[in-house]
Amino acid sequence: MSLVLDMALCALILGVGLATVAGHGVFRAVIFFITYGLLLAIGWARLGAYDVALAEAAISAGLTGVLLLAAHGRLRRLRAAEEAPLRPNLPAALVATGIALALGWAWFALPDPTAPDLTAALPQSGVGNPVTAVLLNFRAWDTLLEAIILLAALIGLWMLARDRAWDNPLGLRYHARAGGVMASFGRVLPPIGLIFGIYLVWAGAEMTGGAFQGGTVLAAVCLVSIMADVLPAPRIAQPAWRLALVFGPGVFLLSGVAGAVFAQGFLALPPELAKPAIVTIEAALTLSIAVTLVLLVIGPPDEGGQDA
Amino acid sequence: MTLWLHTLAIALLVSLGGALWRVWRGPSQADRMMAAQLIGTGGVAVLMVLAALQDWALLVVAFALATLAALAAVGFVKSESPDGAGDPEEAPPVKKMRGTGQDRAQNG
Repeated sequence: MSLVLDMALCALILGVGLATVAGHGVFRAVIFFITYGLLLAIGWARLGAYDVALAEAAISAGLTGVLLLAAHGRLRRLRAAEEAPLRPNLPAALVATGIALALGWAWFALPDPTAPDLTAALPQSGVGNPVTAVLLNFRAWDTLLEAIILLAALIGLWMLARDRAWDNPLGLRYHARAGGVMASFGRVLPPIGLIFGIYLVWAGAEMTGGAFQGGTVLAAVCLVSIMADVLPAPRIAQPAWRLALVFGPGVFLLSGVAGAVFAQGFLALPPELAKPAIVTIEAALTLSIAVTLVLLVIGPPDEGGQDA
Repeated sequence: MTLWLHTLAIALLVSLGGALWRVWRGPSQADRMMAAQLIGTGGVAVLMVLAALQDWALLVVAFALATLAALAAVGFVKSESPDGAGDPEEAPPVKKMRGTGQDRAQNG
């Protein structure tokens, strides 16, 4: 019976993937892509990768949909969506098929990886969730670089802003009817999301959750508040937002340097201090991830409705 | 019990297939968006059944989806407003009707 369930899930994922690239119309492709992320989250859950399922669900439901729909709205206002060529892009299809075939070949050809046994090392990591142990202790170097890559992506996005728009609020000037459905939603959802996001970070040390997942939930509800005109749109020049952006990577780097001075090496955590250190780094990272994702989704400073 | 839960999960997945058909057919953008919201709700249900089947930790994933699935609808409504940042409740009714009718004709 579980085989039938997996087959049905695979058929849905493949079908939605095909419908995303094969159908006509940008809007339909966007909607299919949103559902694709949701089905992938179910797929990861089925595979037992709960942390990945959580990240996929939070990103695809909370951020990607808003980002793509806003992009589609912008294209429509620029009258560009209708003119997009609907011919299949043959080179892209060939490259994508080639990558899929290569991955399939690698899956069958490569030997099973002999990963080091994590259960023996887990007690030294200070946390009970093996994913968190790998991300913030055993392979902290990768996570540090990933946190910095998010910052680099944001700076790349800000480069798209024009000089005269630099001091404007980021993104569109969102407005909503005071007391209307949108404004109420922007007030009701954030408290729930705030508690849930903080819970995810705290629980991530021992079970499903983590800084990235918690940060994504916080970013999503913060985005709702900005879109409902409950929170003012941030500006690049505001020091609090800039500080929040670099706070997480900064704390992470400082703890790494402290490890080099007082412990075995850069980013090394002594086992007796590992748990408080990891929770501190995760809390700081969550703040920075949340703020970076919010700023990435709302986009560069707007020029004031010239394209509307 | 396991058999029953598996059957339930498969039935829910099949119902998602029905919603996917509505995303494919449309005809209006709102139809596709509402079908996507239905898939979000169905996805929460599938995850809850999987939680009973596999591990109750999956309830966290279901909760994340339930909390955030409505955001796509917010993004849709925003992007459909004339300046991409508004709220249909603000617009005068006549203008609103004409705006959505036009969009459906062009992009549905």
